[in-house]
Amino acid sequence: MNIIVCMKQVPNPDLQFQVAPSGTDIKRDTLNYRVNGFDEYALEEAVRLKERLKGKVTVITVGPKRTEQMLREALAKGADEAVRASYEDPAALNSYQVARILAEAVKKIPHDLVLTGVQSDDYLYSQTGAMMAGFLGCPHVSVVTKVAVEGQDLRLHRELEGGDQEIVMTKLPALLTIQSGINQPRYAPLPAVMRAARAPIREIKPQDVGAQAWDQFVGGFQFKVRKVYLPAARGKAEMFTGKPADMAAKVAQLIKDKGFWRGG
Amino acid sequence: MPSGVLIVAEQREGKIQGPTLEMIAKGRDIASKSGGKLTVAIFGQGIDALAGELAQYPVDHVLAIDHEALKFYTPEGYAQALKTIVDKVDPLVILMAHTTQGYDFAPRLAADWNLPLASGCVDLALEGQTLVVTRRILNEKIAVDLEFGGAPRYIVTIRAATFKPSGKGGAGAQIEKIPIQIDAAKIIRKVLGIEKPQVADVDITAADVIVAAGRGIGKKENLALVQDLAKMLKGVVGASRPITDAEWLPKSRQVGQSGKTVKAKLYIACGISGAMQHVAGMKDSGLIIAINTDPGAPIFEYAHYGVVGNVLEVLPALMKALKGG
Repeated sequence: MNIIVCMKQVPNPDLQFQVAPSGTDIKRDTLNYRVNGFDEYALEEAVRLKERLKGKVTVITVGPKRTEQMLREALAKGADEAVRASYEDPAALNSYQVARILAEAVKKIPHDLVLTGVQSDDYLYSQTGAMMAGFLGCPHVSVVTKVAVEGQDLRLHRELEGGDQEIVMTKLPALLTIQSGINQPRYAPLPAVMRAARAPIREIKPQDVGAQAWDQFVGGFQFKVRKVYLPAARGKAEMFTGKPADMAAKVAQLIKDKGFWRGG
Repeated sequence: MPSGVLIVAEQREGKIQGPTLEMIAKGRDIASKSGGKLTVAIFGQGIDALAGELAQYPVDHVLAIDHEALKFYTPEGYAQALKTIVDKVDPLVILMAHTTQGYDFAPRLAADWNLPLASGCVDLALEGQTLVVTRRILNEKIAVDLEFGGAPRYIVTIRAATFKPSGKGGAGAQIEKIPIQIDAAKIIRKVLGIEKPQVADVDITAADVIVAAGRGIGKKENLALVQDLAKMLKGVVGASRPITDAEWLPKSRQVGQSGKTVKAKLYIACGISGAMQHVAGMKDSGLIIAINTDPGAPIFEYAHYGVVGNVLEVLPALMKALKGG
């Protein structure tokens, strides 16, 4: 079973962000990037399937040079090969284009199964996986929480709202978007980290997929980032200030005043 | 020329799903402002009652496709049904919800039909034939306005718990049952059934007081602090998704879109940043107190009272203060 895992490097959403002078992106020069959490679960699921069924796991990303760090981490966690489509737009807000580029690159790599995370921590669009499946012309299933391979069939659980799980069957080759919590991702052992630091990373350029430029892979419509800005807060909590003990005393008083303290 | 808004209603197991009424509210607004019609399409098997229910809302038409192949949602079955409706209505905007069904269906359709998709929107507007949407990104901290133009129609998904659900009213929309031939051979996905969550140790939706743990608690051992506070307040322990994903607490404790929706009298969010997925499940609680190290965390937009601090310091101090120490 040859599996491709699509991964994205994202800014840590716990950081504070500023708007870039252009007004169409955030300031990125000082950002810390890390792997998208959902994609870590997809990678782990792929590596576990490979360990059971044999085959190869290839990780792929669309992004600038910095994303190679993420690909090396994936190699250290059990991926066999790493590929980067060298698309330099750091924001990558045009998800249609990203999905098209990924699909073109994936077509060049033999595979039975493609995995992505359900969504990316930075944008939460939930588009790339199912869109790619459309471009690849294969069946897809989103929000997968359990994978079983039965010959050429896949038996899957997919998460619905409110804790319900839907059980579905589909056929290989297929694309699945993997939900967080499906497994417990492993840590990379140190020797594997050392090996991955020296591993080659294959670069795919537009010419490698028979194109002049990545801009060829936009949809038949216009797309524009009109404005990036700090939103007005929907509401604002009344904030307690001071040292932890002072703030805690104020919260305790509030809990008592509102009648929630019954001398527990 | 394409015009108006077509909503793909969401129904599961004979029930209209929550975001559908939110879509009707926003769809009505967009359709009226752009001078177009608001049509709601519903697909399923044995859905007469559901179509009747939708007709009580301020929509212009309800189009129902009733077919055994549409008993469960599948992307291939729904695409065939939607094609029939779109050919008839020619809408400028196809509106869906940013739910697990929307995640699965909308992007596939965008690729297969070569249409632009704007997903997870918190606002949208038409400027002539151009679509402008607003999205919140990077843990709600940044807003982005995107413009899509030059397409015959646009697919938009809206985020749950963003718009106020539509009330009933309107002139009583016409219901039309649309006949369809479905090519079953094209439906690759087979749905075997839906599994309900197992009976929980505790029903958190019945609790008056919930003390909820998030990623900010750092490690599993620190859950004890949250458990102690919950016990002191005669409440129960809830959690955000990262905590149940890591299996520190059972899934039955998860508050949010993919877990339980709660309306506690007192909700204390400990180290929870307030991702929409979580907030959708607790924002209607009576008194919300949030403790988080990040002053920019979106939880402070929903909480009534906030503490910027480390839960590992604040919680012990809070318990001490409650005991009168």
